[in-house]
Amino acid sequence: MTAPTRILFVDDEERILRSLAMQFRRDYQVLTESDPRRALERLQSEAVDIIVSDQRMPQMSGAELLARASEIAPNSLRILLTGYSDLEAAVEALNSGGIFRYLTKPWNPQEMAATLRQAAKIAASQPATAPLATGMANSPPATALNVLLLDDHAQTQASVAEFCRAGGHRLLHARSLAEALERLNDEPIDLLVSDLKVGGEETAPLLKSLAQAQPQLLSLVVTPFQDTDALLKLINEAQIFRYLPKPIRPALFEKGLHAAARQAQHWRAQPRARVAREAEVPKDERERNTVGHLLGMLGRLRGRLSA
Amino acid sequence: MTAQSALSRLLMPVAALPAEMNIADVADRLLTAECRAFLSLPVVDDAGRPLGLISRYTLQDIFMLRFGRDLHGRKPVSEVMNPAPLVVNLAMNLEEAAQQVTSQLSYPITEDFILVDGQGLYQGLGTVLDLLKAMEQRVAQRNAVLRKTLVDLKESQTQLVQAEKMASLGQMVAGVAHELNTPLGYVKNNVQLLRELQAPLLELAEAQTRLIDCLNDPACDEERLALALDEAARNRELAAPELLADDFEQLFADTLYGLEQIGELVVGLKDFARLDRAMSEDIDLNDCIRSSLVIARNNLKDKAEVVCQLGELPRIPCAPSQINQVLLNLLTNAAQAMDGCGRILIKSWADDAAAYVSVQDTGKGMPPEVLKKIFDPFFTTKPVGQGTGLGLSISFKIIQDHGGSIRAASQPGRGTRFLIRLPRAHAPLLQETA
Repeated sequence: MTAPTRILFVDDEERILRSLAMQFRRDYQVLTESDPRRALERLQSEAVDIIVSDQRMPQMSGAELLARASEIAPNSLRILLTGYSDLEAAVEALNSGGIFRYLTKPWNPQEMAATLRQAAKIAASQPATAPLATGMANSPPATALNVLLLDDHAQTQASVAEFCRAGGHRLLHARSLAEALERLNDEPIDLLVSDLKVGGEETAPLLKSLAQAQPQLLSLVVTPFQDTDALLKLINEAQIFRYLPKPIRPALFEKGLHAAARQAQHWRAQPRARVAREAEVPKDERERNTVGHLLGMLGRLRGRLSA
Repeated sequence: MTAQSALSRLLMPVAALPAEMNIADVADRLLTAECRAFLSLPVVDDAGRPLGLISRYTLQDIFMLRFGRDLHGRKPVSEVMNPAPLVVNLAMNLEEAAQQVTSQLSYPITEDFILVDGQGLYQGLGTVLDLLKAMEQRVAQRNAVLRKTLVDLKESQTQLVQAEKMASLGQMVAGVAHELNTPLGYVKNNVQLLRELQAPLLELAEAQTRLIDCLNDPACDEERLALALDEAARNRELAAPELLADDFEQLFADTLYGLEQIGELVVGLKDFARLDRAMSEDIDLNDCIRSSLVIARNNLKDKAEVVCQLGELPRIPCAPSQINQVLLNLLTNAAQAMDGCGRILIKSWADDAAAYVSVQDTGKGMPPEVLKKIFDPFFTTKPVGQGTGLGLSISFKIIQDHGGSIRAASQPGRGTRFLIRLPRAHAPLLQETA
C-alpha cells in the first residue's frame, strides 16, 4: 500500500473527534472537522477516502453532508455515525448519500475499527471500480439489464414494467422466495426490486445473502414498513441501494431505478473490475444461519461467479 | 323501550259508557270498586269512538243542586259530559303525550284522559298522576345517563391530559436518551483507549522493577544487568510516557466532562419528571427555564440558536413540573415552527405583581385565524399522529390554575411570541392536579 488511507471525521462535539482521532491515528491519516461546511470545503481541495459524519449538527445534517460529499468525492466511502435512530435521516443518507454503513453511538471500538478496516480495504482497491457518482454526467453504455421483481403490489409492477419497457430491460417476476432463488440461479440479475414481505415471507435474509453472493446486484427495497432498526440492518448487512416507502412516489421510484440502472450498466461495461462493495455479516445468529442456508441455495450462482 | 309501550303501560281498560246512559246510573257506576281509581269515565258512540268524559266533579255539581238528582237523574249523560275531553293517541311517545296533556289540562284536575288507537277507537283511560310519575321516572333516568356521561367525559378528559403528558414525557425521554449517546460514545471510547494506553506503562514499570531488583542483587552478573537495562530501555521507548502525558490529560478531562454531561442530563430528567410533585412555595422560574432547556436541547440544537435574557426573578409559588411542561411545550413548538435554522429568544422579568417569561421564535408564524384557536383543545396544525392538539390547551389550563395568563402574538413569516405571566402572590384555588 502506498499512501495511507485518509479518514475525515465530522461531528459538532469536539470530544467525539478527539476520541476517534486518538483511536485511529496510528492506522490511518485522520482528519477532523466540527463544522460540516468546513468539511465540504476540505473535500473540494483534499482527497479523502472515508468520511464518517454525525447526523445532528447545527449547520447541516449528516445526511445532507454525505449527499453533498458523494457529489464532490464520489469515490469516498461514506458512513453515518449517530446517536439518534431517525428513519428519515437514515433514508436520506442512503438514498442521497449512498452510505456504506450506518453506525450508532455509543459505538463499539472493535466494531468501528473493523468497519473502517473494511472501508479502507475497499478504498485501497478502488480507483478502477469506483461506484458511479449520483450526479455524474457521462453515462455508461445503455445495455439491457435483467430486472427481478419480488413484489405483488400492482403499482410497483406497473412502474417497474414501464421502466423496463422504456429502457429495453428484461423483467422477471417472482412471487415467492423459492421462485426468486430459481430465477437468480437461472441467470444473472442486475437489479432486484423487492418488498420486505412477499407471500408472507421475509425477504431481508435473501437480500443479505445476495449482498454476499453477488455484490454487484443492486437491490431496491419498496416497503410500507417504517422500522429504523430493520433499515439499519439492510444498509449494513444487505447494502441495499435504495429504500423507498410505499405507497410509491413515482418520481422518486423512477429516479432510484434509473440510478441503479446506470450503476449496473457501468459495472457491466467493466466486467473484470472488482465491485467496491462489501456487506457486513448479520450479527443475529439465527439470521446468520438463515443467510448461510440461502447462500447454499444460491450455490450454483456462486459457482458460476467463481468460474 | 318503545314510545308506544310507554303509553300502553299507563293504559287502564275501563268499560266505556254509552251516550244514552242516564246520569243516575253513571253516578252508581262511579261508586263501583273498579271505577274508584278514576276521576272520570269515558263516553263512546256505538263504533267505540270517544264522545266525551263525565267527571265525578260534574256529577257532584248536579247532585248538590236542590233536587238535582230528581231533576237531572234521568237525563242522558251526553247532555252534561265534557264533549271535548283530552284524547291521546297510544302511538305518541311519552314526552309528546305529556306535553299535550299538560297544555290542555285545566285546574283543578277533574278528569283523566282517553287513550285511543290509530283508528281513533277508545282503548282505555290514563290518569294524569300516572303520566306525571312516568315522566318523572323518565327524567330521573335521563339524569342518571347524563351524570354517567359527565363522569365518562371527565374520565376521558383526565386520560387525554395524562396521554398528552405521557406523550411529551416520552418524547422528552427519547430525546434525552439519544442525547446521552454522544457523551456515552466518547466516554466509552476514551476508557477503552486509556486501558490500551496504560498497558505499555505497566510493562515499563515491571521492566524497571526487574532492573532495580537486578541492581540490588549482589549476585547479579554483568550479562543479566545488561539484559535488564536493555529491556527497560525498550519498554520505555514503547510506552513513551512523555508523549502519553498530554493524551492522558486530554482523555481524562474529556471523560470527566462527558460524565458530568451525563449527570446533568440525568438530573435534568429527574427534575423534569417529578410528575407527582405539587406546589412549591419558592420557585425561581429561571431554574425552570434552565432545566427545560437541558431537556429540550437535543431537539433544538439543529433547529435554532437559543438566546436567554433572564432577569432577576422573585421566588413564586407554583408547581415546577407543570411549569416545565408548559415551557417544554413552547420550546418544542418553537423548534417545529422553524423552516430552516432560526432563533429562539427566552426572556424573563418581573414587576411588583408578577413574574413573566416570554418565548419568541423566528419561525413560520401563524395567521390570525389559526392564532385564535391555538389554545382550543384538539386544535393542531401538525399532521395526524404528530400532535394530540392538547399541548397548548393543557398549558393554558396549567397557567390558568396558577392564577396566571398565557398569551400569544404572531406574524406569519416573522415568528411567534408567547408570554406567560405568573402572579407573585399565591393564587387562592390552586389545584394539585399534577
